[in-house]
Amino acid sequence: MAFWSAFFMVWGSGRRGVMRNLKVIKPGSLAIANLFRCYRVFWNYAWTIADNVRFKELRTIPDWEFTGREHFEEMQTREGAILLTAHMGSYDLGAHLFSETSTRRIVMVRAPEADPQTRAFEEHHGAESLRIEFNTRATELALDLLETIREGGIVAIQGDRVTGSISSLPATLFGRQTAVPAGPFALALAARVPIYPVFVVRLGRRRYRLITSRPIEITRSRNRDDDFARAVAQWMTELERVIGSCWFQWFTFEPHWPEQAA
Amino acid sequence: MMLNIVADRPEARWLPSRHRFALARLIGYLRLRQSKPAAHDSEHLILSIDRDQTAAEMNLVALWVFVTTACYIAAALPLTLALAIVLAIPLAAIAIHLPIVIGGPLLRLFIGDGNHIKIISVTTMSLLLIASSYAATTASWARFVAWLFLAILLINGLAAATLWLLRNAVQEAEERCVR
Repeated sequence: MAFWSAFFMVWGSGRRGVMRNLKVIKPGSLAIANLFRCYRVFWNYAWTIADNVRFKELRTIPDWEFTGREHFEEMQTREGAILLTAHMGSYDLGAHLFSETSTRRIVMVRAPEADPQTRAFEEHHGAESLRIEFNTRATELALDLLETIREGGIVAIQGDRVTGSISSLPATLFGRQTAVPAGPFALALAARVPIYPVFVVRLGRRRYRLITSRPIEITRSRNRDDDFARAVAQWMTELERVIGSCWFQWFTFEPHWPEQAA
Repeated sequence: MMLNIVADRPEARWLPSRHRFALARLIGYLRLRQSKPAAHDSEHLILSIDRDQTAAEMNLVALWVFVTTACYIAAALPLTLALAIVLAIPLAAIAIHLPIVIGGPLLRLFIGDGNHIKIISVTTMSLLLIASSYAATTASWARFVAWLFLAILLINGLAAATLWLLRNAVQEAEERCVR
C-alpha cells in the first residue's frame, strides 16, 4: 500500500491523465474529489495486476459473478463471435476465465509488446485454449482473425481507444468527440458475426463481475459508413453506461479527450 | 489446466476449503451445514476453491497482525503514547515487511524460485508469537494486546482440534456441496 501510494505520487503524467478523464466523466466535479477518485483508479489497477500475476504464477482465480448471463451463454453457442471490451478490470483474467470455462477457442488481440521477454512470457503463460496475438502486422492478423471466426472461435479485442496508426471510426463518448478502432467493426461485417460487449469489473478482493451486454449486429446496407456509425453508437452507449458506473475501473492513464479536457 | 472451481452454488462460499485458519474453517463448516441449496434460477456464480479466497478472513487477520505489531512498537518507543502510536503505524508496516524482504533473497539462494508463501507466513507468525510471549510478561499496557493475541491462538488451536475430530463430517459436507 505504501509502495503504491509512492507510485501514485511519483507518476504525475498518469495521475493527470486519469484526472482529466474524470473531469469529463463526472462534469462539475471538484479537483480534490477527483484526486481521491484518481487514487481509487490506481488502487484498483494495482489489485488487478496482482490478481493477474497470481493467476499466471499460481493458477488461482477470483470468484466470478455474471450480469447478462443470457448474452454470455448465447455468445458461446454462436459459430464465431467478436468479444469487444475496454481497458477495465482485468482483460487477461476475463479472457482466461472464458477460455477455461468454454469449449470455444479464443484469440486475444493485444497492443504490441515492446519487450521480447514480456511478450514470450505472455504467450506462454496463458490458458490452453487461449491464443494471444500482438497487433503488429495488421493485414496478416486480420486474415488470421477472420479465419479464427470462420472456424467458430471467438476474437477478443479492446475497443475503447486508438493507439498508434491503426484505422479508426469517429465516435461520441460522454458528449465529446473521440475515435474507436475500426478493426472489430470491419471484422464483424466481413465475417457476418455479432459483436458482444463484455466488461470485466473488479468488485473487491478476489471478486470480479463479468458484464455481457446485448450483441451489436452490423446489418449490411448500401451505405457502409452508416452501418458502422450505428454499430459504433451502440458500442458507445454500452461503454458510456459501464464507464459511468465503474469509472474507478477504467485504466486509461493518458487523456482520452486531450484537446477538450485540457 | 483445470481450475478448482464450483459453479452456481452460493452456499459454497462457506466451504472450509475456502478458508485458511482453523477458526474460520470451523465457522465456515457450521454455516455450510445451516445453508440450503440455492434455487436453480439463482444468479450464475463461479467460486474458486482456494485457502486464501475469503476476503473477510484475510482482511481481519491482516488488520489483527498489523494492529498487534503497531501496539508492541508503540509500547517500546520512549515517547508519549499519542506520538508513539502515530510513529508506530508506518514502523509496523516496515517491520512486517522486513522478514519478507530479508528472507526472500535467502530463500531464493537456498531453495530457489517458487511459491514460498507458507514459509513467509510461518516465519511472520512465529516472530509475532515470540514478540507476544515477551510482551505478555512485561508490565506495559501492551501485555493486554499480547494476551489477546495468545488467546486467539489458543482458540484457533482448539478449533483445529475440533476440525480434526469432525474431519469426516467436514469432508462429507464439502463433497455434498461441490457435487
